[in-house]
Amino acid sequence: MAENRPPRATGPGNDTFWEGCAKGELRIQKCGKCGHRPWPVVQKCEQCGSDALAFEAVTGMGKLASWCSFERPYYGELMPVPYDTIIVELDEGPWFISNPSGFANADAQLGMPLKVAFLDCEDQNGAFKLPVFEKA
Amino acid sequence: MADHGMTPMPPSLRENSRRASIVGIGETNYREDYLAERKRAEGWQPPVIDDLCKLAFDRALADAGLTPGDIDALAMHYTFGGPDPDEMAQLLGITPEKAWVNGHIFAGTLPNIVGRIITGEVKTVAMLFGIGNRSSGRQFGGNTYISGMAGPSSYYYFHPWGWSSQAAHWAMMATRYFQKFGKREEDLGHVPMTVRKHAGMNDNAIMQSPFNIDEYMASRYIVRPLHLYDICLVNDGAVCLIVTAADRARDMVKTPVDVAGWSESYITQDKMKVMIDERLRPQLQAAGSEALTMAGLSIDDIGHFEGYDVSSIHLVNQVEGFGFTPDGTGIDFCIDGQMTLGGRIPTNIDGGNMSANYMQGWGQVPEIVRQLRGEAGARQIGGLNASLSAMTQTDCVHPVVYVRGE
Repeated sequence: MAENRPPRATGPGNDTFWEGCAKGELRIQKCGKCGHRPWPVVQKCEQCGSDALAFEAVTGMGKLASWCSFERPYYGELMPVPYDTIIVELDEGPWFISNPSGFANADAQLGMPLKVAFLDCEDQNGAFKLPVFEKA
Repeated sequence: MADHGMTPMPPSLRENSRRASIVGIGETNYREDYLAERKRAEGWQPPVIDDLCKLAFDRALADAGLTPGDIDALAMHYTFGGPDPDEMAQLLGITPEKAWVNGHIFAGTLPNIVGRIITGEVKTVAMLFGIGNRSSGRQFGGNTYISGMAGPSSYYYFHPWGWSSQAAHWAMMATRYFQKFGKREEDLGHVPMTVRKHAGMNDNAIMQSPFNIDEYMASRYIVRPLHLYDICLVNDGAVCLIVTAADRARDMVKTPVDVAGWSESYITQDKMKVMIDERLRPQLQAAGSEALTMAGLSIDDIGHFEGYDVSSIHLVNQVEGFGFTPDGTGIDFCIDGQMTLGGRIPTNIDGGNMSANYMQGWGQVPEIVRQLRGEAGARQIGGLNASLSAMTQTDCVHPVVYVRGE
């Protein structure tokens, strides 16, 4: 059963990202000029200003960089509190906000190896796969 | 410099230092207004931004010992909108040669005005900031931030993971800080506890009751690991600063407070990493050092700091980042009494954003003026000559250095 979630960012670039998730790929932009990998989606490279950005699937591997838990219902019933969020340092560099899967922040350890998994979700624009992270 | 939506500043040059001074300050009744809003007694009306601005202006004018005819420019600052500057001038009972909207948060706004005074564009300026933050029910998180809004993408991008709110930025920083430097929630609690103690010496501070570490630990979480006490207030109010050329300021009743240095620095890439791992250290060091160089001072000359304590951990970031204490030692520095009266750097001595008021950076300035004039009463810092303020958000920092005028 798909989880209801607050809305995704959509539009140019974002759509490519979510299409990748639907296929089980975590796609991150890479600058054709300087090699920088920005996240979240940008229209121009934040390092060199180039618009030669192409999406590339990354390994989906990373390590736990930090975490926090929401105790205030910023999203009302859509995200019942408490719930956990994490930030993952992807092996390719970018820091990626996500949710833990199969573990809780209470068991979290800095630097813990993680790998991406895709959760069936739904928002106002329909069904989608949300990248979350589990212990590697 | 990319356009970040902040008020443009003149360059941080020695020749621009000490050219203009703050000669008048005015603030609204933060505490009284907050308590009235909470109580909402029959007949209570939300404060109107016009009235808040008028009160702050009248107080600043009286503080400066000036008359309405002395004000030749009115610079308005609103974060969520406000009256047209010409209408505001009328309401204030002044006929300035120039009235305009000059920006919003305290990021570049004072240096901008100093620059206009240096070029002779304006002479004596009333700078006004007004905000109806609380009575409008503004919430700093959730779907109030949408894609396409101006501002950093971190405020809206991560909705599908339920990650939002300013507090979540600070919470991610705090967890990593705890892990990296072996600290705990009950250690960090000393920072808001110290700032609250300061607020107890300020009659206009919204929250004045002291708390201990047990009470801190028992308080509810906003975003774990941060508690209620770790996060700033949300309130309504206005701040007025009257600024004039430094030579003219010498003829006025109060000791002038000279604007001696300023700078700005932004995270331009990899925001999450720089913000959570480096805690804006590169930005704080770059901007802090440029502002101090402009002022001809070193960090050792600064005897008072008003930081942007939107969160306790972010105050630690600033105290460390500017170099008052080494990286990773800010919490111990606070526990050791170095951030209060008699310590190395009395910090947020009026109660800051966590306990006194949340005026988006503007609330720091009146306290700096009172301290440098020697008017701060029970919380006066002895022998003070130079103070530092910093408006420090999730991705940028705007320090300003002030000195006591001769």
